[in-house]
Amino acid sequence: MKVRAIDIGGAIGAVALLALAPVLGNSGYLTGVLTLCVIYAIWAASWDFMSGLTGRENFGHALFIGAGAYTAGFLATVYFANPWWSLPLSVVVAMAFAVIVGFPTLRLRGPYFALAMLSAAAIMQRLMLIFWEQTGGEEGLYGLEPLINSPLHYYWFVLAVMVVTAAVLMLLARSHWGLILRAIKGDEATCQAAGINVTFYKIASLMISAAFAGLGGALYAHYQLQVSPPLFSVITSITIIIMVYVGGMGSIWGPVLGAILLTLLTEMLRGFGEYRLWIYTLVLMLILFFLPGGLVAPLWRRLTGARS
Amino acid sequence: MSETAAVDAQVRGAAGVPLLAVDGVRKRFGGLTAVKGASFTLAAGEIVGILGPNGAGKTTLFNLLTGFIAPDAGSVKLDGHELKGLAPYRIVNRGLARTFQLTRPFLGMSVLENVLVACLAPRVRHRMASEEHARRILDQVGLREKAASPVEVLPYGDLRRLEIARALATDPRLLLLDEPFAGLGSSEIEPLANLIKRLHREENLTILIIEHKLREFMALVSRVIAMDFGEIIAVGTPAEIVRHPRVIEAYIGRTEGDGAAA
Repeated sequence: MKVRAIDIGGAIGAVALLALAPVLGNSGYLTGVLTLCVIYAIWAASWDFMSGLTGRENFGHALFIGAGAYTAGFLATVYFANPWWSLPLSVVVAMAFAVIVGFPTLRLRGPYFALAMLSAAAIMQRLMLIFWEQTGGEEGLYGLEPLINSPLHYYWFVLAVMVVTAAVLMLLARSHWGLILRAIKGDEATCQAAGINVTFYKIASLMISAAFAGLGGALYAHYQLQVSPPLFSVITSITIIIMVYVGGMGSIWGPVLGAILLTLLTEMLRGFGEYRLWIYTLVLMLILFFLPGGLVAPLWRRLTGARS
Repeated sequence: MSETAAVDAQVRGAAGVPLLAVDGVRKRFGGLTAVKGASFTLAAGEIVGILGPNGAGKTTLFNLLTGFIAPDAGSVKLDGHELKGLAPYRIVNRGLARTFQLTRPFLGMSVLENVLVACLAPRVRHRMASEEHARRILDQVGLREKAASPVEVLPYGDLRRLEIARALATDPRLLLLDEPFAGLGSSEIEPLANLIKRLHREENLTILIIEHKLREFMALVSRVIAMDFGEIIAVGTPAEIVRHPRVIEAYIGRTEGDGAAA
């Protein structure tokens, strides 16, 4: 698919709107919500790179998110490190988890990878409770320092990280790498017959996916200023998968917008109290039922007349 | 050195080893021995057919040669280097490519992209990783006009050609074609046979073709390896093979005495 001027224009417009919204809205609450939106966008984009392109669905993306966040938490509460160390180290730790889980399971076909990721995240959540003396148990770890004191400036920083993340992942997805990942989705045996080391590409793409998820985890930790076990929960993972489906799998930018829209929707529905979950679920079911290819990316392609 | 010996040495390459040497390759699936100790050699530049009725073990033999199934015993050497135990993609990168009997394109991608993936194999990517190269291969197999089509809309005959294009993109020295004519109408068989002949001649490819109908490749191959029940039962020129008693028996039926023994 070719990149058209209207796509670039749309991207610039969306980023400008996101950057200016808290200033125009002049509300601290909005800044907070948008920061959360953009962090979810990083997670959705990173999920989409591996799972959307190769078709190997990852039901435990929370593993990498939690690994990144707890890395930030330990650095702050145990080592009293400069908070900026959180970012590179959370990336390294998340990538290490990707190798540990990916190496034994991605070599196999079938559901092993999805199940292994699901259980690895669940096990980590339990471990956080079992080793409560180190991890703070249910309470988690407190007392992280913000990376940037001004919430607005921090929001802009996170937005910049998200834009870079999406740009890097989209460039990779459009490169020969992305072509090979899509071929893996098509047929692994044919990939082997084409001389492609399928296992290498799957593990490497999981590592890239984990790196950005972990980075997002650290950004989240320094936004909430605390980390707790639900970060590893299956709900976190499933929420991200839903965002990707709504956005349109495999396009990277679709899931980015899907994450932003669904996070905003969750916030807007707060006024409905206990009916919130009903409405949210209904909206999702309608989208997934009537638009199995997703909402955001297909809609944009149709509105702008792209031939996909 | 006599003239025949000189030609022989030329065909076998400088080291004097055959391009492919298969020795005692065996595979059991539970109680069924699918391939019972197959041994044969291919010289560089040969075009050889593997003939046998359905279930003779031809495709299993291909899977054993290409690493898709691990042999229980025996050795497979390409140019003197052992292939047994290597992953399929490594064997491709040694220069042994294959096609599948049931065409297996990468769905969701264009014809050009399908070929481009194979141009990205480590063996060839430094000189082939370009659309231009993929287009040249599509040219060779006659799919140039269809480069941009999604593979889902490709007619069956073109999918067969795409299989060959993908294998060619890895720049093989030995090409294994698994029933390339399967499911094709008579009007499609001859052009495809001509394509295979041209590749053999112009690209100096060594080719091994599976077929269960002898007629299709009589004019194509110089030598035939006949298989039945997982065993190589005869090797010879096509003319010799059609008259070989064990081949006739395998195709037409067994005499009662043999049937009881089997």
